Amino acid sequence: MVQRAGGVRPAVWAVGLGKSYGSTVALADLDLRVAVGETVALLGPNGAGKTTTIGVLLGLLSPDAGQVQVYGRLPSQAITGGLVGAMLQDAGLMPGVRVGELLAMVRGLYPRPLPFDDLVGLADLGSLLARRADRLSGGQAQRVRFAVAIAGDPLLLVLDEPTAAMDVQARRNFWRQIHGFTGRGRTVLFATHYLQEADDAADRVVVIAGGRKVADGPPAAIKARFGDQQVRFTLVQGARAQLAALDGVRAVDHDHARVTLHSVDIDATVRSLVSSGLAWSGLEVGGLDLETSFLRLLGEQP
Amino acid sequence: MTGFMTLEMRRALRDVRYLVLAVAMPIGLYLLFAGLFGSRGQTAQGLPQPTELMVAMVAYGAMWAVFSATGPRIAHERAIGWTRQLRVTPLSPASALSGKLVTALAAALPAMVLVALTAVVSHHVQLSAAQWPAMLAAMWAGVLPLALLGLAIGYLAGDEVAFPLTMALYFALGPLGGLWMPLSTMPHVMQDIAQFLPSNAVAELGWRITGGQASVPKAVLVLAAWTLGSGLVALLAYRRRATGPAS
Repeated sequence: MVQRAGGVRPAVWAVGLGKSYGSTVALADLDLRVAVGETVALLGPNGAGKTTTIGVLLGLLSPDAGQVQVYGRLPSQAITGGLVGAMLQDAGLMPGVRVGELLAMVRGLYPRPLPFDDLVGLADLGSLLARRADRLSGGQAQRVRFAVAIAGDPLLLVLDEPTAAMDVQARRNFWRQIHGFTGRGRTVLFATHYLQEADDAADRVVVIAGGRKVADGPPAAIKARFGDQQVRFTLVQGARAQLAALDGVRAVDHDHARVTLHSVDIDATVRSLVSSGLAWSGLEVGGLDLETSFLRLLGEQP
Repeated sequence: MTGFMTLEMRRALRDVRYLVLAVAMPIGLYLLFAGLFGSRGQTAQGLPQPTELMVAMVAYGAMWAVFSATGPRIAHERAIGWTRQLRVTPLSPASALSGKLVTALAAALPAMVLVALTAVVSHHVQLSAAQWPAMLAAMWAGVLPLALLGLAIGYLAGDEVAFPLTMALYFALGPLGGLWMPLSTMPHVMQDIAQFLPSNAVAELGWRITGGQASVPKAVLVLAAWTLGSGLVALLAYRRRATGPAS
């Protein structure tokens, strides 16, 4: 069965995916579609079903219900055909071999691999080729794992929380490498639980929680809906009516003199608060964390 | 596929555990035992003492070679997630499995040849031009069930258990299979058990061939039974891992 949408076959096409482990529902009636050339973030809290979804797309798990195709093929066929490269969560590297040997071997498994020098350049591994793959630092190993994922020059790159253990700088470098690879019409699907990362890197964000899709749209829309951030302070002097007019404020709550501003753009709200002439004390800036906002949203679902 | 196997082999031969237990230990034991028991005289097998010992140590080295390339290594790769990563490359599960098996068997050959070479150099063991290849080939084929046993352990046991378990088997199957001491010096019960152990059957193939006896039906039957049994367990264990949720 081949899906056609305007004559273009999507990179990922999944409908009605269901998967349970005993009484635990990991996926429930999940639809997912990724167009060729798109970069899509799969955003959700821990346990949302991101890794299970990726496992099904890669043919590592068989779904209890639903259908899935990758470039019009079964996942296992897409893998065997070398169309897909993946960075799995906590996946290790072959022990006892050098990085260069490992990359040469992995390239040899694919029909049309990236040229070796391009691969080394893209993943910035020039200085590591003679090192043992099992004796690398976390960041170095991550670069090698990235190289393993793109060695076959895959059409679809799947990344399961690729930056989970990285600091901000490392995360920025990592995405620069990804974009170095994807500049040529490659498709990327990545899982993350950082809203900011989804916003920075994706063309489209699919939010899942409790194994269900709860939102699907451009990053800006998702951020406005889930990225509720708050400014709290005690209003010492000034009119409460002014508060709702500050930049980015979506809603205002009061608890006696203690004020909570719900903002869609925290920077703008703080800036306009400072220049507003209001007198305040005990400023706190914080966000409703993603998990809470997912749970709240889940509660709204029928 | 060939690149995968070549790298697996290169890695197997570099492994310190392989070099120590599959090569250095049998050679050391050979020199020790051949020194202790003398280099002259006939054994119960009707073989010169150095020849009988050589065959025993060839079997012992080959046994660790196939164990070290399978059980502990596969269990470790499963634990660190390399098995899973390999499954999202075009390498088919069947190729990955057969690659492991071929690597294990390939790792046995250098160990076997080096022990035999030690015997020739140190105690001037002499066999006919036909006996050398016949002995090595028969014993090489004979370690197949031990390699399958190693695969089964690799896919069944956890990372912490696989290495001690394989070590325990290595140290048990050697002496119990009559590779350290001639079986004739053991109690009858032990001798009866030994005949059914793969370690003894592998050595028996070598002893028969070096002793000029062509017919080895019993050892072949024992090895065939072990091949079937451990092959089946290895296959079931592998399939359970391949379709399960984790590694």
